[in-house]
Amino acid sequence: MSDFLLWWRLALRRFAVMLVKELKQLGRDRVLLAFIVYAFTADIFLAASGVSLSLNHAAMLVQDMDRTPQSRELAARFAEPHFQQGGVVTRDAQGLAALDRGEAMIVLSVPPDFGKHLQKGEPVAVAMQVDTTNSVLGFLATSYAQEIVARFGLESAMRRLGLAGGAAAELPQAANEVRVWYNPNQEDSWFMGISEMLNIATVFAVLLPAAAMVREKERGTVEQLIVSPLTPFGILFPKVVSMTGVILCGVALSLFLVLMPVFAIPAKGSLALFFALSGLYVFTTAGLGLFAATIARNLAQAGMLSILILAPMLFLSGAWTPPEAMPAWLRGLMFVSPLHYYLDIAFGILLKGQGVTELLPAIMGMTAIGVGVFAFGLLLFRRQFD
Amino acid sequence: MNLKRVAAIASKEWREILRDRLFFSLAFVVPALLMVLFGYGLSLDVENIPFAVVDQDRSAASRDYAYRFIDSRYFSFRGYAANQRDAERALAAGDVRVVLVIPPRFGQRLAQGREAGIQTLVDGTFPSRAMTTKGYVTAINAAFSLASVTQAVSRVTGMPPDDVAAQLTPIALETRYLYNQSVTSIWSLAPKLIMVILMLSPPFLTALGVVREKENGSIFNIYASNVSRGEFLAGKLLPYVAISSVNILVLWLLATLLYGVPFKGSLLFFLPATLVYVLCTTGIGLLVSVLVRTQVAAMIVTMVATMIPAVLYSGLIIPIVSLGPGARQVAELMPAMYYTDIVVGCFLKGVGLQSLWRPLLVLSLYACLLFAVGYALFSKRPKT
Repeated sequence: MSDFLLWWRLALRRFAVMLVKELKQLGRDRVLLAFIVYAFTADIFLAASGVSLSLNHAAMLVQDMDRTPQSRELAARFAEPHFQQGGVVTRDAQGLAALDRGEAMIVLSVPPDFGKHLQKGEPVAVAMQVDTTNSVLGFLATSYAQEIVARFGLESAMRRLGLAGGAAAELPQAANEVRVWYNPNQEDSWFMGISEMLNIATVFAVLLPAAAMVREKERGTVEQLIVSPLTPFGILFPKVVSMTGVILCGVALSLFLVLMPVFAIPAKGSLALFFALSGLYVFTTAGLGLFAATIARNLAQAGMLSILILAPMLFLSGAWTPPEAMPAWLRGLMFVSPLHYYLDIAFGILLKGQGVTELLPAIMGMTAIGVGVFAFGLLLFRRQFD
Repeated sequence: MNLKRVAAIASKEWREILRDRLFFSLAFVVPALLMVLFGYGLSLDVENIPFAVVDQDRSAASRDYAYRFIDSRYFSFRGYAANQRDAERALAAGDVRVVLVIPPRFGQRLAQGREAGIQTLVDGTFPSRAMTTKGYVTAINAAFSLASVTQAVSRVTGMPPDDVAAQLTPIALETRYLYNQSVTSIWSLAPKLIMVILMLSPPFLTALGVVREKENGSIFNIYASNVSRGEFLAGKLLPYVAISSVNILVLWLLATLLYGVPFKGSLLFFLPATLVYVLCTTGIGLLVSVLVRTQVAAMIVTMVATMIPAVLYSGLIIPIVSLGPGARQVAELMPAMYYTDIVVGCFLKGVGLQSLWRPLLVLSLYACLLFAVGYALFSKRPKT
């Protein structure tokens, strides 16, 4: 029994000593420390404040060859916030040149006799040229334009036919009231801020422990650790715990100093749960970094390997692009990325106010990956020095 | 500058890279692999949006309404929900992103010639996706309403429905998509991926290469030698620029052959312009390596300083016009935005030096500035 106690006391002391060593080592790299603070505050502030993913103020030019009240009314309906009238062009070439230079996104041409045709009830075509270099925006612009033109056409037709005087309330149509949940005003800052915070945490969670491990290898200090009474687990564990602590501090910094006070992110769920699960996430992701560290012999290799791990994790997590649109094989790959689960967890707790029961599948998935990666990493690490 | 010494440094560096097999192969594998992964995975199309319907009316009209969504390729039907509570739970769990709630007496009101309300709940966690979804919902709703109004008008006036429909839609919008006629994402995506990948890998390679010597202490050989600062930096960077130049070709081939993106511009303009861009990103790596002392810091600083701006502030996902003032300034400080104009112009618009001399000039100045600052800050007499 006393042997058992002694073993635990020793293990704890070793753990404490190693933990202090790691924290000191990190603390003395001033540039790195300053950069961690920058990334978790200023960088997240920039991303959250500066980016809007929706179609706003698309610059548009009008080529009005009709010049009647009808043509002017149609053009005027392309209004803020989606469109921004950029002026008038008279010749085709002028409009094309503006599109070429990227000064306009849309050129609307109204043909001569547009108003006359409309009054007689004859079909008439309006041409629109859209710069679809960015296809998502091109799509949005086209669909808004279609809606504007259809409504204008319907109203003028109803007026002409003398039906209901164009009063929409009397028509047997469906009025669809679209309600957006969890982010009613569609604040891009909420999404951008939270996902940037998760991205930064991920970058550090992969790089910090991997770098700390490979550095020991490169300098040869790992040999000292191997001949010490420490087990491989005793070497790896304090590294991961110290880095997890640092990253959680960073997350707290960005949440309490930037996201909640500046951008009014509601944080509907339990923050304790959020930090506990963030800790679990960083731990899991650190396992991936250590995995790279066991393969790499020097930091340059570790760096390239971690790009290989990080870039797909960040880009294909489902935050940027909807998972439904990915091919099946990539979606399969996504399920082994811990960030995919963490995304559900973070948005679930902060915006939807979910608790453990709703998030259980995500938590289980993340834990399973974490355990698997760590076991595998430990195995590789052990084998390396046998 | 003594070219012989530059060559000596370059060949030493080249040998060092070549002997590190894993690093050498990763230098080529990483860009190519990222191009393949992102090209397939980073689809910005919003399609197959999972949705559920709560039909409290159960009339012919309500079924017709739901079918318009079920038939659409933009939505993927996940079944009727028994009540609104169930549907809301599925929305919270992320199983569906849209819920249509058709209230009782929907069909009856339409038959009486009155407006009938419908409620759509959209998951707003990802705002841009919610926007696009709203666009689809509005379009389908408009089509349904038009059909319903057409029916009513034809009943009142006795005109055949086809004529009424033609009367009600007098204006046709003929849309021409410029630069990317089919609006397939990959055409607009692949050229920008070249930009992102060339922003990721050259600075990383370079920063690690220089800081490694600092951390290992082998830089003292250089400090003590008669190699000048300029010769050292030129020789040191040459192999990394060479690797990145090969990667330019590989990425261009992947874009044109694997993804079938048309290349309308001229290679004689594209390749030198891309080289200038690579010099810029290499310069960023150089600057980082001069500023930091450890490889760990070099890795993290380069990662955060290049990867995140390359995605957010370069026009890859978010167009520059949608950026706020702060982010806009960051975008203008990074070379990525200028190169985006060049790469998109070369691939999709087929324009050359006449329209793109401005971004090219900016990039050249940028590269010169980075190298000048790197040169000024690099010292053979370190303070510590």
